[in-house]
Amino acid sequence: MKQRKKAPEGRSQADRACTEGARVAEQANGSGQTLEARQVSVSFEGLTAVNSVDETLHQGEILGLIGPNGAGKTTLVNAMTGFQLPAAGEVLLCGKVISSLSPHWIRRHGVARTFQAGRLFRDMPVSENVEVAAVSMGLSRKKAHAHAMELLEWLGLADRAEMPAGILPYTDERRVGIARALALSPQFVLLDEPAAGMSDLECDDIMQVVREIPERFGCGVLLIEHNMRVIMGVCARIHVLDSGKTIARGTPAEVQKNPVVINAYLGHS
Amino acid sequence: MIEANTPLLRLVRTFWPLIILSLALLIIVAIVDFTGDIILAQTLVEGLVRIVIVAALYIFIGNSGIISFGHIGFMMIGAYATAWQTCCPYTREMFMPGLPVYLLNNTHHFIPAILLGGLLAAVAALITGLAIMRLSGIAASIGTFALMMVFYSVYLRWSTWTSGASSVVGLPTTTTPWVGYVYAVITLAAAFLYSRSKWGLALRASRDDEVAARASGVNVFRQRLLAFVVSAFFCGMAGGLFGHFLGMLTVDSFHLSMTFITLSMLVLGGMQSLSGAVVGVVVLSFVIDVLRRLETGVGNFSIPTSSAEVFVGITIILILIFRPSGITGNAEIYWPFKADVSASAAMKRQS
Repeated sequence: MKQRKKAPEGRSQADRACTEGARVAEQANGSGQTLEARQVSVSFEGLTAVNSVDETLHQGEILGLIGPNGAGKTTLVNAMTGFQLPAAGEVLLCGKVISSLSPHWIRRHGVARTFQAGRLFRDMPVSENVEVAAVSMGLSRKKAHAHAMELLEWLGLADRAEMPAGILPYTDERRVGIARALALSPQFVLLDEPAAGMSDLECDDIMQVVREIPERFGCGVLLIEHNMRVIMGVCARIHVLDSGKTIARGTPAEVQKNPVVINAYLGHS
Repeated sequence: MIEANTPLLRLVRTFWPLIILSLALLIIVAIVDFTGDIILAQTLVEGLVRIVIVAALYIFIGNSGIISFGHIGFMMIGAYATAWQTCCPYTREMFMPGLPVYLLNNTHHFIPAILLGGLLAAVAALITGLAIMRLSGIAASIGTFALMMVFYSVYLRWSTWTSGASSVVGLPTTTTPWVGYVYAVITLAAAFLYSRSKWGLALRASRDDEVAARASGVNVFRQRLLAFVVSAFFCGMAGGLFGHFLGMLTVDSFHLSMTFITLSMLVLGGMQSLSGAVVGVVVLSFVIDVLRRLETGVGNFSIPTSSAEVFVGITIILILIFRPSGITGNAEIYWPFKADVSASAAMKRQS
């Protein structure tokens, strides 16, 4: 994940433009905002990890992003959250280009993400892991704490709030990651394999959590997942990547029957 | 009764490490003051100045996780800026003839002078930090090291303002044990509050996982810069205190030796803990003092000169190998009462 230079002069301008644009859009048709990848390509030393991908994530929906290992799913998420500058194409938040802005700016303006590896702040208590995101968005520590406790309560982690995050079991680690991403209700949240390595029972829990996110937080969810049961269980719409390219999109039923998708999966596994 | 005490107790509990550290230092200062031993008082003041330095280092290093080798440069800036205002009114023109007329002709009280010294150090940190704080990890550390060398070289050659390779003497020795104590407690309180503030929280998050911190909305560069400036401010004040403790200043005293001794204290005590900063200063100051005495000889027994440095070096290596989180294990002084019965336990102790 390469860190890009930020564009300080464009920042406040884009900030204003974004909220302005969103307000205008909302007044015009009552529709929510969108996070859009437009012809996004990412390459690493000549290797194209993501190749001209188009997708628009709407508020309130759950979109599945699937594909074999190395298909470019995480790279696409990195590009949409400011961690990776696209080689071509652009990322737009409510109509404004954000692909060259820094990750913290993008998070503060409503696009949150989780990481495959959890990436919790291991030396800090669970509650502070969530508070970090809340104070970064301007809350006082007291309010951030109350907000974090609400989220942890919802995820059934309130009794572990004081534990150091580093000693949490795997499944709880994922939940804390989700709580951290949902602090202050972002407009969009991109979940990178939240159910990886979980048992069926634990998967059911995570599915329940993911299903609740749109109505509870009013945000759009992009879900990367290898577990088909989870994907098929919660997503209304699925986008399939293989070798960086879009090979299929549609409802779970359509995608499951698509011979190209079946081939991509069987061919790789 | 217990109910009525709860808010106060909660406050005491929140600030517990700070309260204990301040009280412990208070007792030590009071005892030394009572004995009237001048040698002991000097050792104590030196220790208190070191606590200011190491607590200031903790503000940046403890919260950001980036080792800075540059802070002694800020200490030097503070020390000389203070001396420009307070030193030797009759011989100032001889030592530092390049000073502007205002500084040559006016002498400030040492308290505002030290404050201004800290501010100048903070300004220096702001300007240099704008570049260096964009770096991460070892690159940032090396950047701060280079910074210290730059400050050192500039002050060494800038003889019309600093007396260069020779010393500035005749500073009023106003840093008494009580003055040192007040500055130490102010610095400890600032460091304590900082690490618990929203800025401290955001910076600690970047220490644990920089990528995740960015994804959580933390502007890592800005948080590092803020901590760099705040800690440089207190290092600058430590410089002022140091000059008014020794009564003289040499550029050479703000170089590698001071850098490594203070960093060793922080590492020894536990980098991520304020209690560790104080414990590190106390333990290492004591050890060095004992070794220095042995170097000069006790009875028929003596150890070779400079053994202290060798011993300190070996101690640091051993600490890094066997207890990388320092004596305190990066923990703060803990609340000694059980959480749910804390109120009643405290009541019992009072009665």
